[in-house]
Amino acid sequence: MTQQNMPYFEDVELGDEIGPLQKVAADDQVVGFCQLWGNPMPNRFTDAAIAAKANLPGPILPGVMSMALMSQLLTQWGGPGALKDLDLVFRQPVPHDQPLNIAATVTDTRQENGENLVECDILMTGAAGERYVGGTALLSLPSKSQ
Amino acid sequence: MYLDLHSHSVSSDDSRATVEQYVKWIQVLRKRGNVVDGIVLTEHRKFDFDRDYSQLAAEYGVLILKGSELDTLYGHFLVYGVNQGLTNDLDFSNVRLDSRELMKAARQHGALAIPAHPGRFGIGLVDYMEQGESFEDVHIVERLNGGSRAGENERAEELCSQKGYLGTGGSDAHLASHICACVTDFQATIQNEQDLVQALLSGEFKPVRLEETQNGSV
Repeated sequence: MTQQNMPYFEDVELGDEIGPLQKVAADDQVVGFCQLWGNPMPNRFTDAAIAAKANLPGPILPGVMSMALMSQLLTQWGGPGALKDLDLVFRQPVPHDQPLNIAATVTDTRQENGENLVECDILMTGAAGERYVGGTALLSLPSKSQ
Repeated sequence: MYLDLHSHSVSSDDSRATVEQYVKWIQVLRKRGNVVDGIVLTEHRKFDFDRDYSQLAAEYGVLILKGSELDTLYGHFLVYGVNQGLTNDLDFSNVRLDSRELMKAARQHGALAIPAHPGRFGIGLVDYMEQGESFEDVHIVERLNGGSRAGENERAEELCSQKGYLGTGGSDAHLASHICACVTDFQATIQNEQDLVQALLSGEFKPVRLEETQNGSV
């Protein structure tokens, strides 16, 4: 492992688990995210009545916020700049103020064009096992020989 | 033999796993001591006549069969033994297929259609039965689904107990590492889609979770 406890490519094996990262997106965090993002409020992410008009059970997390939370797991593990690609499918609306479990599994490792690539499945689930967001991620890690 | 009867490759719009990634992951499972013999690709609202996975199957020693998962008025149905006649008679892309007509047409063409994840809250067969619908042609349902939320497989199990249905197992994988989370344990040796239909009609199978296949210990 590196000094920052981040993995070298040679340390990674198929089936390695990354995480889990446990998160709760509180109402005020979603409002703060929308402010930074520049999304005019109120909107379906911050307001129950507007969410209801969109047939949502309540205000939901913006997709890009879910992506940000999932990216956090991978960048904490692989280090800044490691994440090359994140390809997600949004299967269900992600609620506020509920436990979110984010975990990844290494499904492939390969060296390609001089890069040490690690491919992962990544999933955000709820407390009852709801599969909110899932997909794949590609990371580039340093090698011990470099 | 252990077959995952419900999986989706990138041929389905909501999956991110290639068939090659699935068969590679099965090698990981085998190294861990799990016994997995094959998978059935049940792509959403289609049947991939033109896709040939025989080379991958031979290279990795994994049986790869093809089926479909269709949207109907009463939830999703898994269809095994799909052939040209069935796809000529039914529009697989129709998201409001009549479930009873689907089961009847499948039977007429030597195929078999069974309800997928019947315990799923809101869209599973159990909900429709609670609303008064009845389905005389249902004898087998997917009892173990790897994508189920807490309580949904239990609802499917209760349905099987109440109605005397047989149950299958499938992962409903959309990601490589989810393949074979649940499988079906067959008495028969299955080599192709017709064998699969016959094995299901024989009733000699049961659903199991992946951990129960450790060294074939079931």
